[in-house]
Amino acid sequence: MQIKLPVHLRVGLCSRPPQRVCVQEVLEREVRLSYWNKVKQWRSWRNKSDMVLLKDIVPAAHNNIESKFIVLEKGSTALEGKNRICLTLVADETAAVHLQLWGDECNAFDSGDIIHLRKGIFSYQHGNLILRAGKRGKLEKSGEFVMSYVEIPNMSEIHWIPHATNSKYYIQDYVISPHSRIFPPIP
Amino acid sequence: MAALKLTLTPPLEAENALETSLREAFESQKQSLRPPFSLAIPSPDQYTLLNRAILHGVLTEPQFAKTHIKHLHAIVTDGYATFVTLLLDLVNHLYPKLLASVKTQLLWLTDQTVCVLGIGYDAVLVSLLRQIVGADCGDVNLWLCSKLVTLFLEQWDCLLEDSPHVLSFALYTFLRVLTDHCRGGSVEKLETLKRLEIHLCVKIVREEFHLCLKIGRDFIRLLQDLVHVPEFRAILKDIVFNPCVFNVVGFEFKDVSQIYSTRTSSRYSLLRISPDMETQLRFLLTSIKLGNQKRHQVWFGKKFLNEPDKEFVIVDIVRFICCGHHPPNEIIQSDIVPRWALIGWLLTSCRRNHVVANVKLALFYDWLFFDERVDTIMNIEPAVLLMVHSIPKYVDITHALLEFLLHLVDSYDVERKSVMVKGVSSAFQLLVRKGVIRSLDVLISCPALHPALKERLKKLVACGMIGSS
Repeated sequence: MQIKLPVHLRVGLCSRPPQRVCVQEVLEREVRLSYWNKVKQWRSWRNKSDMVLLKDIVPAAHNNIESKFIVLEKGSTALEGKNRICLTLVADETAAVHLQLWGDECNAFDSGDIIHLRKGIFSYQHGNLILRAGKRGKLEKSGEFVMSYVEIPNMSEIHWIPHATNSKYYIQDYVISPHSRIFPPIP
Repeated sequence: MAALKLTLTPPLEAENALETSLREAFESQKQSLRPPFSLAIPSPDQYTLLNRAILHGVLTEPQFAKTHIKHLHAIVTDGYATFVTLLLDLVNHLYPKLLASVKTQLLWLTDQTVCVLGIGYDAVLVSLLRQIVGADCGDVNLWLCSKLVTLFLEQWDCLLEDSPHVLSFALYTFLRVLTDHCRGGSVEKLETLKRLEIHLCVKIVREEFHLCLKIGRDFIRLLQDLVHVPEFRAILKDIVFNPCVFNVVGFEFKDVSQIYSTRTSSRYSLLRISPDMETQLRFLLTSIKLGNQKRHQVWFGKKFLNEPDKEFVIVDIVRFICCGHHPPNEIIQSDIVPRWALIGWLLTSCRRNHVVANVKLALFYDWLFFDERVDTIMNIEPAVLLMVHSIPKYVDITHALLEFLLHLVDSYDVERKSVMVKGVSSAFQLLVRKGVIRSLDVLISCPALHPALKERLKKLVACGMIGSS
């Protein structure tokens, strides 16, 4: 069985006579197209990066921050209960923030290391706003040195207030200090 | 059994993508890596996969290495190009992190690829030469030196015929490394290695002098650092006073100025910079803004200049910055860290006086023999900008540099002073003509500089002008 192209498709085509197409071919083509669309969808889903820039992180009770940054400074390691903790200053091209290392993480990273954070959380601990991997997240060293950064603004040095209508969300209120007060910039 | 590892990845560190790909290939092809081997011709994809798997196999299973190599010989259809490219990637990206047993296998494998003249084996050798760390007399580094020097001696005939340029690269590297090894005193483990290295270098110079000419003027610079070694003192004497001993049929070596006038290709300065160090230096000079570079400099120093002896490497770094990294105009006109600023920082990181002198020589070396026709302005630009930009705040640096340059002209090679006068003055003239500095007045009329120094500079430039007209 053969079909002719519908009239509206013939309009505006070149002077060649319309091509005759087999139904079978059309069907196969459609199957191929839908498959291709699926591949494309899958690819875009796979490549979809949830990576956020540090300037865009907002305090929340969710473990959903994926980000990449370089360690600028490392504070001394302290004990909190039975566990070691260590506060660091990290930054990317857009902002800096305080990152807290926990347990073995304290030994694993040094200044100059580039870290990939997955499922991190940015929240208050003892009144301080810090980024950390938390129980569900993960920090991984993915390189060193080759990343430029800024130290201003520092997301931990911003005063946030709950949103007027939806108190789950925080919005920026005012800047407490342009740069980190714990790790001041090198003069 | 799980595939063995190539590197010791510390906890909380991502596995290198190349290692992952080799490991996965090995795991997926494990069945086909033992005899009897399949006689079927692999598809292109499968061919690549097999090459990866075999490489991983040789590196992690020394007991089956010979079987794996036989397998490779059996399947190869591209002159070993795929295999050698993988080997090269491995050396470039992972060498310092490889386990000791893997390094042993890697060197054995390199030897094998030289034997079959696998396409691109010369690049692997050059890349391995770059992995020899400057100013490092640690066991791991000395092991690599001794493996490579042995390889070059054993494969001498083959290399000389097939890729003599690799021997030039080896000569450059071992001359440079010998200055480190001679400084180490007469420790027994060092003594044997030193003899081998001297033997290789002398063999190249005495038997294949044309390979030294290929290096160009930096060959003399390196030789001078070894003048306390009798063999090299004799060579230097012959080059200067008895050049005809290097004549061969069809080639006449008349005078050392023949070497002076050859600019050394940037490929040589790259040899003494590891790929890691190159990445970091280039990143600093292309992505970091001037004024924001302090932390990066500290990290660089912590990684590469962390011991007192490491300052000897600064000579190589300065040579690389001058000859090996030439930024495009967009970067020169932007606010990115300029080369002169980085060199200024490196210069202030040197403690010993003779290192400072060597660093300055590295900075000015192309000035002495500058000839517009063969030299590039980019090699001499950092020194003049460092002098000019240091005037406002660090005039003592300007002073020290200018004094050193004038001193070089007078004393570097007294017999050929006219060459240096001409070189330095034409360097200055070109820098002014091309607008790198507006005029020599910034130096000659600078009130902060000593009058006698300015007078000498004026005289030098005038002399050069008379000489050239």
